[in-house]
Amino acid sequence: MVDWNAKNVIIKIKQIQRMKNQNIQTWVDEKDLMEESFVQNLEGQEFDPISVESILEDEKSGFIETNRRDFLKLLGFGVGAATLASCEAPIKKAIPYTVRPDSIIPGVANYYASTFVNGGDVCPVLVKTREGRPIKIEGNPLASYTKGGTSARAQASVLSLYDYNRTQNPARVSGDGKTESISWDELDTAVKAALVGARVRILSSTILSPTAKKAIQDFCVKYPNSKHITYDAVSSSALLDASQKCFGERNIPDFRFDLADVIVSFNADFLGTWISPIEYASQYASKRKLDSATASMSKHFQVESRMSLTGSNADNRIMVRPSEQGAAMVSLYNLIASKIGSTPIPNAELNETAKAKLNKVADALIAAKGKSLVVCGTNNLSEQIICFGLNNILGNIGSTVSFSKPSYQRQGSDQDFSNLIKEMQSSSVDALIVWNANPVYDSPLAKDFTAAMANVKLKISLNQSLDETSSVCNYVAPDHHYLESWGDAEAKRGCYSLIQPTINPLFNTRQAPLSLLIWADSASINKLSDQPYYEYLKSNWQSNILSKGANASWDKTLHDGYLEADSSAGSAVFSCNVNEAVATITKSNATGTEVEFYESHNLGSGQYANNPWLMELPDPITRSVWGNYLAVSVKFDGDRRFIVSNGVKENGELISFNAKGETKSIGAVKQFGQLEGTSAIAIGYGRTKAGDCGTDIGTDVFPYCSVDALGYIQYFTVAELGNSAGIIEKNYASVQHHHTLGVTAIEKSSGKKINADEAALVDDFFKPIAKGFQGSLTKRSVIRQSNHKNLKESVEALHEERADFQKLNSHTLYPGHDYKYNSGHHWGMHVDLNSCIGCGTCAVACMAENNVPVVGKKEVSRHHEMTWLRIDRYYYGDVENPNVVYQPLMCQHCNNAPCENVCPVNATNHSADGLNQMAYNRCVGTRYCANNCPFKVRRFNWYDFTAADLFPVNQKNLNKETDKPFYADNIVRMVLNPDVTVRSRGVIEKCSFCIQRIQEGKLNAKKEQRALTDNDVKTACQTACPTGAITFGDMNNEGGQLSKKLQNPLNYIVLEEVNVKPAVTYTMKVNNRDESLDA
Amino acid sequence: MSAVVSPVRRPLIEGNKTYHQITEDLCSPTERTPSRAWVIAFIIAVATMAYGFFCIGWTIWMGTGSWNLNRTIGWGYDITNFVWWIGIGHAGTLISAILMLFRQRWRTGVNRAAEAMTIFAVICAAIFPLIHVGRIWVVFYFFPYPNVRGPLWPNFNSPLLWDVFAISTYFSVSLLFWYTGLVPDFATVRNRATGLRKKIYNFLSFGWTGSAKHWSRWESLSLVLAGLSTPLVLSVHTIVSFDFATSVIPGWHTTIFPPYFVAGAIFSGFAMVLTLMLITRKILKLEEYITLEHIESMNKVILVTGTIVGVAYLTELFIAWYSGYVYEQFAFFNRAMGVYWWSYFGMMACNVISPQIFWVKKFRRSVLVTFIMSIFVNIGMWFERFVIIATTLARDYLPSSWSYYYPTWVEIGIFIGTIGLFFTLYMIFYKSGSGSSYCRSKIYIKIGWQSIC
Repeated sequence: MVDWNAKNVIIKIKQIQRMKNQNIQTWVDEKDLMEESFVQNLEGQEFDPISVESILEDEKSGFIETNRRDFLKLLGFGVGAATLASCEAPIKKAIPYTVRPDSIIPGVANYYASTFVNGGDVCPVLVKTREGRPIKIEGNPLASYTKGGTSARAQASVLSLYDYNRTQNPARVSGDGKTESISWDELDTAVKAALVGARVRILSSTILSPTAKKAIQDFCVKYPNSKHITYDAVSSSALLDASQKCFGERNIPDFRFDLADVIVSFNADFLGTWISPIEYASQYASKRKLDSATASMSKHFQVESRMSLTGSNADNRIMVRPSEQGAAMVSLYNLIASKIGSTPIPNAELNETAKAKLNKVADALIAAKGKSLVVCGTNNLSEQIICFGLNNILGNIGSTVSFSKPSYQRQGSDQDFSNLIKEMQSSSVDALIVWNANPVYDSPLAKDFTAAMANVKLKISLNQSLDETSSVCNYVAPDHHYLESWGDAEAKRGCYSLIQPTINPLFNTRQAPLSLLIWADSASINKLSDQPYYEYLKSNWQSNILSKGANASWDKTLHDGYLEADSSAGSAVFSCNVNEAVATITKSNATGTEVEFYESHNLGSGQYANNPWLMELPDPITRSVWGNYLAVSVKFDGDRRFIVSNGVKENGELISFNAKGETKSIGAVKQFGQLEGTSAIAIGYGRTKAGDCGTDIGTDVFPYCSVDALGYIQYFTVAELGNSAGIIEKNYASVQHHHTLGVTAIEKSSGKKINADEAALVDDFFKPIAKGFQGSLTKRSVIRQSNHKNLKESVEALHEERADFQKLNSHTLYPGHDYKYNSGHHWGMHVDLNSCIGCGTCAVACMAENNVPVVGKKEVSRHHEMTWLRIDRYYYGDVENPNVVYQPLMCQHCNNAPCENVCPVNATNHSADGLNQMAYNRCVGTRYCANNCPFKVRRFNWYDFTAADLFPVNQKNLNKETDKPFYADNIVRMVLNPDVTVRSRGVIEKCSFCIQRIQEGKLNAKKEQRALTDNDVKTACQTACPTGAITFGDMNNEGGQLSKKLQNPLNYIVLEEVNVKPAVTYTMKVNNRDESLDA
Repeated sequence: MSAVVSPVRRPLIEGNKTYHQITEDLCSPTERTPSRAWVIAFIIAVATMAYGFFCIGWTIWMGTGSWNLNRTIGWGYDITNFVWWIGIGHAGTLISAILMLFRQRWRTGVNRAAEAMTIFAVICAAIFPLIHVGRIWVVFYFFPYPNVRGPLWPNFNSPLLWDVFAISTYFSVSLLFWYTGLVPDFATVRNRATGLRKKIYNFLSFGWTGSAKHWSRWESLSLVLAGLSTPLVLSVHTIVSFDFATSVIPGWHTTIFPPYFVAGAIFSGFAMVLTLMLITRKILKLEEYITLEHIESMNKVILVTGTIVGVAYLTELFIAWYSGYVYEQFAFFNRAMGVYWWSYFGMMACNVISPQIFWVKKFRRSVLVTFIMSIFVNIGMWFERFVIIATTLARDYLPSSWSYYYPTWVEIGIFIGTIGLFFTLYMIFYKSGSGSSYCRSKIYIKIGWQSIC
């Protein structure tokens, strides 16, 4: 019998299986199946390992036999894999932390308080770092004098950190300018040996750091024959000396533009470049903001020959030649003196027109006695004294001109510098240490200086790059960039700020004061320490500075970055003989065109020339980049057309420039508001050793500056300007041609007031447009402006017109859809045109924040610039002396956006919170959106400007077309903001309202489970602005900052009648112009 | 057979041809060895085309920055040429479809060439939207197809997308219509051919036997396609005009654009047909098939459409003034008096003023005058598109952004290249297909002739 237990059943089944396998057809009984069963054989072998050999030996198993098909497969795979592996994939170096530093969370930015310092330029900042890389500069709101504002130079300084043209190693420089890298030890030994007993001169630009000054003192103690000489390329030497004479203190007084109702500036570009522009701009704007139709505002007169940034913001400009500045001041002094019964001073000759105008200025000043301010930007001692004298008789000393917190931002002395040259010439200098100064380039005495350098045995440069001066030194001991440094700054008395490093030094550099201390074998330096200068700084602060602040501790100060000492109100008493000064004011004695040399708003005196962001930041007035040019009056050479004013060909017209017996051909541009018979050109260009970006851009005009009898550098000369010296291609590039809104001119034939375009003025070709069709230009609702006198009526008219537009636009095909943005966030922006001074800080901040590429001169001249935020400049009023209005223009985030509906692929669309968004990956690049944008704010990536991807051939270098592209450099790429996509070739981009910041703010609020506040989200342009002209926020946030701004009756919307419903609101530009001063 | 010319009606085909003669005459271009002139012309055309493709390659490799467009003027030569070619591509279908429906029998002499021209012009046109984009490698985003991106569809609100549909529809229907007409003629060539040629033409003619059933179906298909094409003639350029009309830019944002564009398209299409026909007629000695009657009829169309276009120009000016809208007023003032005044006056002179000479019969029937005029019109219509696109963009709302545009060698190269492409295709077609419809010519052979036997 069969045992039907489970085991047997299994066996049975297996047997049947076996039977099938073996083709056993028949069986008699179970024995036939049970015998020598193969199952039985296998039993117990179930887990018996099969040896590899047995498989390999078994040829039939087919394991190792390779047929052709497999061979080909493997061949294909192998070749493919090898090919792929050998393709050079772009290597993006991203190395994770092995041990993550405590303070760093990848993806979250850290902010460190520090201070931007470059010579006299200073700005307390917060440095945004991501994964240990500084990528953005924000203002430090704790600083009382900048109030969180920044300047374009401060914003761009982060790019200078990643400048691969910086000197990367200490080096010995041979006679032909070639460098040989050496070690610090080698350098120190050599230098120390040479310094023994030497007469050392340390030449620097203004040094704001008390600790660095102490280091210099320590150095001078060790080498008693040493002397520290300070000079500024753009000198305020005369102002300092005048201050010394008048008040007994060689400092720049604390000018208070925020307390002045009437401001008169004699050629001082205090909003752009003069002394402390961030501070002054913020003060100035506080008196210009209008939040109602009845608010009052300050009155600003500018006396100058060229259209400066400050002059462009002035209510009235009184145009006098540079040589007449002194006479104008004397006239004003006497006019005031006669009106208030004070003693007049000897008169100086001044043309009658200017005199008549100054009479009105005198009235205005007297009306605001004690609440007015007169400043003077010339480097003439007598003029500065008269200026103080003016403030004195106006009772401003102690109020708008005080010494409670005088500024240290210019300390240079022209005479010291000239004396140094004399010393060098007489071989009484053995060693020269140059620190953050470039006298071989940026001094009118450069020629003498360079020649005299041959007499100095040891020349050491502490400069950061191998500039004109460094390359004629013996050794270069490169300084850190400030973002790699420890340090401090005292910009004004008692206003201390700290500098802390935000990244390890990129190159083999060393802090300049540390170098000095090491050479001096200073006892206060712990050579074994990792950060000797940090310890030196800290001990200096602990013993000398911290005690001055209330409850100041080192840690807290380091955290805040700023410490304000309790101010001791310095009482300044004016004691100076103004009479004497009149004798030495500038007088015009030569005939010819007076050419003024002014500090470039962007490049300073050339120290920023290698910064592409600044190089490509348009000049506020001419809107030109990548070069300098002579600004000539619109009447220059008759009504002749200047080619440059039309088209994108950018062939600059050259005019010959003959001064100091030398003739040069320089590009020219006709500039509204330039006095006839004068001209102006920026210094800071034409550098020969600036680096890849700044070398050979523009013309160097320093040699044409001169030194007056008292030894002060004069920034103007008399030159012969020829009419035409031909045409040059790409002399400079311009982003906005001289199209104007509402500039009026008198037509010769009819005597009628007509609207004039610069093109019309300079080009016979466009006479028909000049003859009146630009009437429609003035009617455009782009700029709204009014005189303060008529403000009430203007606001009423504005409201009427806006109501009209809104009524027209209320007709819709789909009524009842207005609720769209009534709930949730609705992002919007407000731009106060009365605060905006046109400085361009926001534009640089935007480039830094949003990885906006710079494109170089050639591409800008083809109007391929990529700026997301631009500042349009329009003129209005009198053609020879117009007013200027600046309009920052970014994507208006229209709620009825014309760009969105025309995109065939939905690459641009509207978010639920009112943002006009770009999906770069979806963009095909039809450019239809850009065409259909009424504001022309969309930018197309014509080439691979950011070296984003595949197209090395498209990556254009900025300056020279042959070298490697700017953004392809791995060091430069470190500046890119990792939160913002780097756009590839062929896509459109535009302002995103800093969506990455919005997102961050939203997340922060969400994490903290609270409602979003105004402070959570601020756009880059908003935080950068020194005058607070830009407000960003949620329009649905009742009571928020933006909602308050939106209540302003002066508000208007650009092109409101087009019904695209922008989310950006502007205020009407109001000027305080006294029209009786026209003519 | 002898015959005299009817005193009442000019014959459509002159020379009192027999059926055989027609076959001989019209097939001969496909059967002869190419003449030296043809070869030289062909080499020139191919070389030009090759240069154009080189420039296209340059654009794609180097980037759109190799064109002179800028932040203000996003479209220039590219879209100007696109609209110009699309306009030229209008005549073929108009002649074939609308004139067929209107029973304009004179069209037979020119319709085949005109249809071919349509196809080739549309091909030339289609190149421009394709290559003007920044990233040609993702141009397929234009097409609505189910995809894994969501799916993410194109934006059906965008006139550019409408363009894609309008042009592809127009192209496919025109292609069908053209090919349908070719089938019996291919069969004729096949019947006379031997060897490989015979096989090829047999394939091309879909095995046409000429049976009554074939003819009957062929006739009805032609009619159906003509019916389909008719609205397309009007719709394509209407939709192209929407690219501009739906925008907010003054000078583009006008409701007059659809009829104005269609009239302009017919105008330029007829001009191009005339240019080509006059050359072909001369070279291939088809004077008896493409007669002065044809030329005169087409000149009448040119006169009418040219005048319509002229009225449209004046209407625009009037409306700009009448609207009281400063931006529009300035836009039109600027067209005439601004930096691009030369293109505006070029347009006016070529499109509006010069065609008026066709009021005179002598000029209508003059081959030389017609030829010169056809070139004029082509130039004028090119100017028109340039005026609309570049001039408008160069001076729009914000004076701060005003700019200027002129093409680079690359853009010019591409334009010339499309002309090369057009002539290359046209010359191949003339050597291998049939420039005139044999069968229709045979149908109308009797017209205008009175048999006297």
